[in-house]
Amino acid sequence: MTTYGTLLNHSLNIIHSEKIMNLPYFKNILIYFMLIAFVIAGYCFSLLAWSSFPLNMEQVCGYLFAFNGNSIEQQILATIRAPRVFTGLMIGANLAVAGVLMQGLTRNPLASPSVLGINAGAACLMALSSIGVVLISDLPSILVASLGGIVSGALVMLLGGFFSARPHPLKLVLAGVAINALLVSITRTAVILADDKAYSVINWLAGSISNSDWQQWQNLWPTSLIGLLMAIYVARNLNLLALGNDLAIGLGLSISMTRLVSCLSIVLLSASSVAVAGPIGFVGMLVPHIAKKLVGHNFFLLIPASALLGAALITWADAFSRSIAFPAETPVGVITALIGTPCFVLLAIKSKQS
Amino acid sequence: MSSMKLLSLPIMLLFIGMLSLSFGAYDLSVKEITWTLFQGGKFDFVINQYRLPRLILAVGVGAGLGLSGALVQGVIRNPLASPDLMGISAGAGLAATTLLVTYPDAPLFMLPVSAVIGGLAAAAIILAIAYNSRPTPTRLALIGIAISAFLSSAIDFLMIINPIEINTAMVWLTGSLWGRNWTQVPFIWCTLAIMLPFAFWLAWRLDVMGLGEESATSLGINPSKVQLLALLSAVILASISVSVCGTISFVGLLAPHLARMLFGHNHKALLPSAALLGALMVLIADILARSIHPPLELPAGVLTALIGAPYFVFLLQRYKGW
Repeated sequence: MTTYGTLLNHSLNIIHSEKIMNLPYFKNILIYFMLIAFVIAGYCFSLLAWSSFPLNMEQVCGYLFAFNGNSIEQQILATIRAPRVFTGLMIGANLAVAGVLMQGLTRNPLASPSVLGINAGAACLMALSSIGVVLISDLPSILVASLGGIVSGALVMLLGGFFSARPHPLKLVLAGVAINALLVSITRTAVILADDKAYSVINWLAGSISNSDWQQWQNLWPTSLIGLLMAIYVARNLNLLALGNDLAIGLGLSISMTRLVSCLSIVLLSASSVAVAGPIGFVGMLVPHIAKKLVGHNFFLLIPASALLGAALITWADAFSRSIAFPAETPVGVITALIGTPCFVLLAIKSKQS
Repeated sequence: MSSMKLLSLPIMLLFIGMLSLSFGAYDLSVKEITWTLFQGGKFDFVINQYRLPRLILAVGVGAGLGLSGALVQGVIRNPLASPDLMGISAGAGLAATTLLVTYPDAPLFMLPVSAVIGGLAAAAIILAIAYNSRPTPTRLALIGIAISAFLSSAIDFLMIINPIEINTAMVWLTGSLWGRNWTQVPFIWCTLAIMLPFAFWLAWRLDVMGLGEESATSLGINPSKVQLLALLSAVILASISVSVCGTISFVGLLAPHLARMLFGHNHKALLPSAALLGALMVLIADILARSIHPPLELPAGVLTALIGAPYFVFLLQRYKGW
């Protein structure tokens, strides 16, 4: 009887696994196509929409395939809109992948660069360096931002008990919230003491890509690319880590190595984004959850899907942020916070008791 | 002994109040201050129209926040609970900013009213969630912070799409006593005049509630009624404070903890001492905010966060009920 039962179970398993093998394979390709289409649509929409100049698809095609320097519309596209859209795409991908890595590393559904204080740390040190604090004001901005991200991230991990024997997910998040509050107040103090033109800084602190140009894009893409490649490199390790620390060690994984590479990648990705656009929140927390619903928990699929989704989210959010007070600009970080915080509330309610 | 300690708080408050009158862009001596207070003179504007109302407001607001925090922690029995961590302050702030943005000409008394409505709505949301999912204390704190984050991002949004003066924005984003004057004084002090005696009425009931719901019922107390009344008064106190000077964060968390350390768990001593300590905290924050780099002014809420956030981390380290 039991042998018959196990046999039945076994055959059921085979049928089930075949289903997993075939159908989702097709499904994943479809999902990737849809995500790419979503990104391209966001790209075109963000290039064209809410411009003080009437722009249309014809000029986008002209700009892409037969650039004509005499056409004012194509010049606008080339010098104002295109860098902005590219920066948005890159930053979205960066933050989303950083979020995936953090959630994989801490096995905590609420983890993200903004919740665990990395964005705030990078922004704080950037603000301090921009008001001319000695030592750090001479360094390049990406280095300053990375330094801030590393310090605040390490502080949150340490105080949140991530390295203790039994790390508790809520403690980590609450420590992140507290450090965030501290860093934001230091940033505000520094900025107000430095000068009273603090209004632009409120804008920057909310996260905005409206001032991006090709120069910033040049600073952004190399570090982002390194970060993304490192993320793909640790995907296999994170898959193993998802089985639990003990099992992962048993399967020959070096936990400290995995942590080091992913932390490095997280810091590179979020610091380069903050250096260009200020701390844009909640993309890193929200996108991995949606991507998980779409492609499952395999990090090889999850990381590219999150990158695409994050890129699309930021470009669409940026396009809509222009519409709110057109022709004035609204920082895109405000929009992502408005979308992201309700999801944070839902996750906080729903995330399992550990 | 305890009453001696309790008496030392008002004395400290008086002393620091004196400092608050003397510090600023132009430092005044004690003699000049007393002269101006009773006779007026050339510093009349600085003292009587600018520093004195701020002093009185800071004390009132701090007392309101401290008392509100003590009541919330007394009811919810959660060391991480406080009006600002539970989204009540942010709800009040959002309602107040919405009113300011949509009806800039609304009569002045509408501001506290809308703040109370916002605070009550936020409290209702978090209580509904708490009632349905029965979270642990830390989870409740997290849900509160999440709701708070949502409401503050909405405030952020309103402030940014309606560009206004930076100090006004700072008042509503972080809490500041900038530009407040005599007009706001009656709101907070009338509320305190009603709520302080009421808090004393609640004090021994909250003590009895600490013995557990069953013992409380057998001692002739209706636990749900006391809980509801205490929470209601906490929400009203916090909301009115917010309507005066924005969300000054962490005072509602810190003051009751400090009071408990100094005066123990008896609510008769705890509630007034929490109020006094809250008043001291806001007053000191306001003095520092004005005098670190005059004439520039920092928001007081930033300074309370500089003390409050590390203390919150410390609480997390000590908290054992994970």
